[in-house]
This record gives sequence, C-alpha cells and structure tokens, in this order.
Amino acid sequence: MSFLVLSDLEKRYGALTVVKGVNLSVDKGKLVCLLGPSGCGKTTTLRLIAGFVPADGGEIRVGDKVVSSPAGTMPPENRNMSMIFQSYALWPHMTVYQNVAYGLKLRKLPADEVDKRVKAILGVTQLTPLAERYPGELSGGQQQRVSLARALVVKPEILLLDEPLSNLDANLREEMRFEIRRLHDEFRYTTVYVTHDQAEAMTTADLIVVMNNGKIEQSGTPEDIYARPETEFVARFIGGTNILTGKAKGKNTVDVDGGFTLQCGSGSLVEGGKGIVSIRHHDIELSPKKKVDVNSVPRVVKRQIYLGSHRDYLVDIKGGETIRTVAPVDVEMPVGSEAWLHFPPQHCRALTE
Amino acid sequence: MSAVSATSADMAETRRKSFDLSMPIFIFLALLLTALVALPLFWIIFYSFRSDTGAGATLENFVTLVTDSTLLQAYGLAIGMSLAVGLLSCVVATPMAWLVARTDLPGRKWIRMLVTASFVTPPFLGAIAYEILAAPNTGLANVVYRKIFGLDQSTVLVNIYTFSGLVFAIACFTFPYVFTLVSNALDKVPSDLEDASSILGGNAMTTLRKVTIPMVLPAMLAGTLIAILQSLTMFGSPAIIALPAGFHVITTKIWSLFQFPPRLGLAAASAIPLLILTIILLQTQKAILGRKGYTVLGGKSGSPRLTKFGRWKWVAIAFVLTVLSLTIFFPYLALVKTAFTNTVGDPLTWDTLTLKHWNFVLFEFSATRLAMWNTMLLGVLTATAVTAIALVVSYLVVRRSVTGSKYLGLLATAPVAIPGIVLGVGLFLSYANPTFQLYGTLWILLIAFMTIELPAGYQQMSSSFAGVHPELEEAGRILGASRMTTLRHITAPLLRTSVVAAWCFVFVGTIRELSATILLTTANTKLVSVIIYDLNESGDLGAICVLGILLLLISFAVVYVANRVPVLGGAQMSTRG
Repeated sequence: MSFLVLSDLEKRYGALTVVKGVNLSVDKGKLVCLLGPSGCGKTTTLRLIAGFVPADGGEIRVGDKVVSSPAGTMPPENRNMSMIFQSYALWPHMTVYQNVAYGLKLRKLPADEVDKRVKAILGVTQLTPLAERYPGELSGGQQQRVSLARALVVKPEILLLDEPLSNLDANLREEMRFEIRRLHDEFRYTTVYVTHDQAEAMTTADLIVVMNNGKIEQSGTPEDIYARPETEFVARFIGGTNILTGKAKGKNTVDVDGGFTLQCGSGSLVEGGKGIVSIRHHDIELSPKKKVDVNSVPRVVKRQIYLGSHRDYLVDIKGGETIRTVAPVDVEMPVGSEAWLHFPPQHCRALTE
Repeated sequence: MSAVSATSADMAETRRKSFDLSMPIFIFLALLLTALVALPLFWIIFYSFRSDTGAGATLENFVTLVTDSTLLQAYGLAIGMSLAVGLLSCVVATPMAWLVARTDLPGRKWIRMLVTASFVTPPFLGAIAYEILAAPNTGLANVVYRKIFGLDQSTVLVNIYTFSGLVFAIACFTFPYVFTLVSNALDKVPSDLEDASSILGGNAMTTLRKVTIPMVLPAMLAGTLIAILQSLTMFGSPAIIALPAGFHVITTKIWSLFQFPPRLGLAAASAIPLLILTIILLQTQKAILGRKGYTVLGGKSGSPRLTKFGRWKWVAIAFVLTVLSLTIFFPYLALVKTAFTNTVGDPLTWDTLTLKHWNFVLFEFSATRLAMWNTMLLGVLTATAVTAIALVVSYLVVRRSVTGSKYLGLLATAPVAIPGIVLGVGLFLSYANPTFQLYGTLWILLIAFMTIELPAGYQQMSSSFAGVHPELEEAGRILGASRMTTLRHITAPLLRTSVVAAWCFVFVGTIRELSATILLTTANTKLVSVIIYDLNESGDLGAICVLGILLLLISFAVVYVANRVPVLGGAQMSTRG
C-alpha cells in the first residue's frame, strides 16, 4: 500500500501555477527522485510535502492522514519528517554533536538514549572524530554528512532531500551519491529526493519522477525512464538523444522529414498523425558502406572528433536536423565523406508529443 | 478516520495562532511608526503656516524666512561651513585611507582602530576640547606659543572662535565618515583589476589614477556628503564655537527662535529648508552609491596590493601623526589635563594636579546625579525599545510573513532624513501641548531618541536577519520545533551578536545626543550632554571635562563589555564566522 500519496496537488503564486495537478504514490521504504530542469516545480512539490507551503488544490496524505489540503496544512514540526537542505542549514552556533542531537532533544528522549543514538549515527556517517567541531570548521563534504546524520537520527517517517549535492565539487558529489544510496539501503526510510542531475537520480532512486512545467511527464524505474521514454522531453532530458520528426505511416513506421522511413521497435503511434522517433547517440551504427537494408541511409559527415575511447560524429540530414552519434575509434571517416547511418529498429522509440 | 479529524483540528489551531500573533503586531507597529514619523512633520508644516502673533493661516513666516537677513545669513553660513567641512574631511581622509589600506605603512591596524574609536567622541566634546586648546586668550596652544617665544598677552597664534576655526573643529570629527567608507572601498577593490591594468602596460601611477581612484570615487563622494550632512545639521559644535564668535548657523538660529519670546511658527518654517536639504543630500548619496555596480563590490578576489614606501615613509608617517594628533591626541589630552588641573592655563606639574573638579561634579554639583540617572535611564530605555522594534520590524520585512510589511521598513528608515533639530521642533509642537503635556517629562526625550536612532537600529537588524538563511529555521521546523521554539533556539542565538551590537550602537548614540535634546529638555529632565552645554556657557571647563570623560568612559565600557562578555555573543561567535 502506498505510504505517501499526492493527489491532484496544486500550488499557485499569484497568477502563476507552479505545481499543476501532481499525482504520485510512494510505497513505504522507497526512494523517489523528483527530476527536472530548474523551475519545473520539483522543489515546490517537496516543500509542499514538508508543509512549508500550503496547498491550493488537491491533497497530500501520509498513511491514512491528510497532512495538506486547501482546508489546512499540518505544520512541518508535527509531520515527523526530516529534510536535507541545499545549503545544509547546519546551525553555526551548535557543534556537530548538538546539531545532530537537536531533533532528539525536541522529542524529549532520555539523555542517555539521545547520546547513544547520536553516537551511533555519527559512527555510521564517519563523523565521530568531528563531534565537537562547529560547522564553520568543516569541509563541504563533512557538512553534508552532518546534515545527513541530523536528518536520519530522528528516524523520520519520510526523509526529504532538496538538491543535497549541488554545492559539492564533482568528485565528492559522485562519492556522496553512493553514500546516500548506501544509507538508504541501511535505514529504508521513505525518501523523496529532488535533483536536476540525472546521474544522481539514476544512482540513488528506486523510482524516478520526471517533472516539467509543473507536471509529471513520466515516472518509472531508472531503466524505464532511460530505455522507454514516453515523451520527447523525457528522452531529451535523460541521457540526451536524437529526435527525428515526421509523419506516422503505420503503428510503428515513420516517414521522417529527412526523406527516409524508420521502423520503430517500441512505442506506438497514431496512424496518419505526427511521428517522433528517439534514438540514443550510441545506438546508431555508422559505417562507410551499407550493411543492412532496414533503417539505413547515406549522409555526409559534418564533424568528427577523436575522444580517445570513441569518436564523436555529427551528420547532417535533410530537413534541418543534425544527427549526433558515437562510433568506435576504428570507424574513421573524414569530414565531407559519405557515411551510412543505421538506426537499429530495436533502439528506435516511437513517441507521441 | 479519527486520525483525519484530529489532524484538521490541529491545523485549524495552528492557523489561528499564527494569524493572531502577526496581524496585531503588524498593525501596532505600523501605527506606532507612523505616529513617530508623521506627527512631528505634520505639526511643523501646520505651524509654519500659522502666525506667531495672531491666529489663522498665513504665509508671513515664509516671507520672513526669505527676507530676514539674519536667517538668510544663518543659512548661508551653515551651507558654506558644511561645504568647507566636507571638502576638508575628504582632502584629509582620502590620502589617509589610502595609506592605511594600500601601503606598507607601519601601525596601519592601530591607525584604523584609533580613527574608528574617534566615532565615539561626541562632536560637542571635541569643540570644547578645541576651546581649551585654541581660545584666543586662555587656549593652551596660544599660552605655550607665547611662553616659548616670550611674547606678550595680546599675541594670538590660533583662534577657534572664527568661521575657519569652526570648520576645523567640526572636520576633526566628521573625517572618520569619509575615512571609513574610502578605506573599506579600497579594501574591496579586487587586486586582479589592478593586475589587469598592469599587464596591459599601466605603471603604478597610471593604475592608481585610472583604476583604483575611479573605483573608490563613489565612496569618497558619499563619505563627503555624509560629512556635509552631519555638519549642516549639527547643533553642539556651532553653538559652542559660533555663538562666542558672534554668528549663527541655521541650527543655532532655530534654537534662538525658541528662546523668549518664542517664535514657533518661524522656527517651523526655518526648519523646512533644512529638512529638504537633508533629503536632497541623502538622495544624492544614494544615487552615487547605487548608480554603478562597482561601488558595492562583491567578494574579495585576492588580497589588495600594497604599495611599498622607500624614503617617503617618513613623510607619510608625519602626515598620519599630524592628523591623529589634531583629531585625537591633542583634544583628548586637553580634556584630561583640564579635568585634573585647577584652571585651563595652569602648567602641568605635581602641584597643579587636583581632584577638585571631580569632587565638584560627583559630590557637590546637585544637577549631576539627576542628569546621570536621566541619561543612563534614557540610554537603556531607548536602546532596548529601538532594538526590540527593529528586531520585530526586520523579522516582518525580511521574512515577509505579512503583506505590506515593506511599508514598515520604509517607515523605520524615514527618520534618517529628519535632522535632530528639526525633529526637536516637530516633537515640541506635537507633544508640548495641553493634549499630551509631555514637555518637561522624560517621555518626550524618549520619543525623540527612539525616532532618531530607529533607522540605524533597523538597518543593522535587517541586514543581519537577511544573513540568517531561512533554511536554518526550516531545518528546525522539520525536525519538530514549533515556530516559537525555532525562534528561541536558532534565530535568537544567531542574531545575538547583532542585537547586542545594535543595542550598544543606539545606547552610545543616545547618550551623546544634543541637537533635538536642547529644544526638549527642561530643568527636571536635564541630561549630561545638556549640562555640559550649560556649564560651557558659565565657563566651567574643568567640570565639563570631568563629565565628558565620564560620558566617554561609559561609552567605551559599553562597547568593550559587549565585545568581550561571551554570554552577550562577543568573542565566542567571532572566532568562527
């Protein structure tokens, strides 16, 4: 049974609607990523769940309780959630230990219990030697871990993370992604994680929810989202792709504007309507000679770059689109030469708008 | 399902609570601030159209204002004086700021501290120090000069009772404004901007002329305008120096209109141009500082480049020492010497040392105890009230819990445009009437000080509020703390340092106020600053110096305690920022 349920959730700021009817169910113990470009409404959705902003429409339920609806908002402090903020929001006037212990003290736990749990979580997050430091004396990565420890120690019903890694440098960010997943596997709190970084989402999430313009575009496992995108936005936003447009000729055939026909292995089209085909850069096969008959077309190489592990090609097709593709290093074709592009049908995904 | 109904009861309760708290406070503050600012201004305008002799509306006050030669002359002299002060401050402070911020001059940190400390000196005390130093007959400078060269009594080296003497005495206490702004600006000019000029072929002089100086020009102009504004609206120093010299500036002229027979309408009318001038000066300053992005410089990129002195070092040191001597060392020494010797002119030997002035002030002079008590009481009350109001107003403005809170911020800043003497006139007209009958009570002084100090307190509080990231409070909420608990555990400790600083700032500002006080005080509500002014008229310099030193000691003690006592958030916080 779903533990956290958002139904038809709406938030307006004046004339601007930033969350437009979001529906989402999260099972207990799952980690859900809200993924999308900035301004897509993901952070607002998170703050609605936390109770920092009241809802203008729809409702949020946790278990069998309605916590937010236009009729009222349960204040954040009564929700038994915890949150990791983009700025970490560590209190500069408290030591690491005091920061972590704060939530437990508010819950009026006996002192020895507080001490035991704080020490345990500091151990798990490798912060034990830093317990008496002030946040100003810690590095970014250490501050991040304190923020995690402070949120986890209260055993929240729901854990919220708001772009927690955006202030870290690239190496640390990658390390912390795995750390967050490891801690989730250990504690199994129901978690909502907001990010605009798809690699972060892929690493950490059980379920990825792609948001755009205040709405959910698609939700599914990382594999669903990547391999079986349902909209052009999702295909482009996750992993990058080539989009070819044209007219749908059959349920899985598209007459592309560039003057050739593509068979699509998945997705479905409305015959006679608009046809959109997505194919990943690395799924296109490039060769100097024609290899197969289906989904093959000869075009001229516009740019070729040697990148060590592979070569990156740009190939113009008619109708204005440029196809980007990667090929093994030994497939070498000079700029201006003719190359055969082969779009394997099993990798061509037909999309509706 | 019972859980659902319990929850909605919870929610309803919380909403009611937050509504109940914010709105009444907002309305109360809006009314209070409007009354503080609008009432005096309204009565000034009302009275300026009222005849002092008969009843009914009239323009005769304004006719007098533009025809009366003594009033016109007072305005002319005031404007001339403040322009001269501004120029002198700028000419002295800018090179000094550069020396301190951008050269390898020894003792730079000390120089900066000394200049900053001289902010604490009340200007009127400085003027009295220069009376002691440079009065034509008894001035120490003249006495020493005559002694060294064996000249007779009529020879005078320097005379403070002149227009130029007045300009000099005021400039000594306004140049820190320019100095602080320019040296801070110089600190913040990123060194890579200068490096960029060097790499393109500019030598040291060209870089200074084409890059560094233009970058700090806005700070220079802004500082100069503040110096001009300060001297234009100052009452104490002109009253001490200009009146014996036989001329009036506008502030002293307005004050004289309050002497018997009072001409309130004319005083009100005379205050209006001063108000307008102040607003123009402040607007200009804002425009200069706000016009180009480069004035409010962002973070430092690299430490500032320091110019190395060779043999010119001694010239620089001599210059700085001269300035410091004239503005700090000599005045303070004069005050201390006078406090401990029989008369001003006595030579400094073991025989002439005496505690009789201290004895007189502390034990014999009946007015001291009352004045001290009043001053301390008003200082503490004003500082506490202003800090509290500023705290709540900036919470409402910065966190925007209530719509229209921006209006509160504007109101809290508005008094900055009302010169003390103008406010004094306005408050006298507002509250010294049969309805309020506050004249002769400490209340009217409290209202005056609160109005005067509110902008400074508010600015300090709102900028430190803005420095507390809202997520710090939200983190408390989500971990289970209510709004009030979050305020108590998180917001309050983080703001403690700023609250203490604002409190001290207001306190020190209050106990040295004279411009508005002089119009609102009576025999029962004497303050130390007023007693100093009164004693000056009777020529009792020894007692003045004792009182002045006491005033300074209290100011420094308050600042020191606030910085040192860890409970008040001094050293403990600053070691980790």
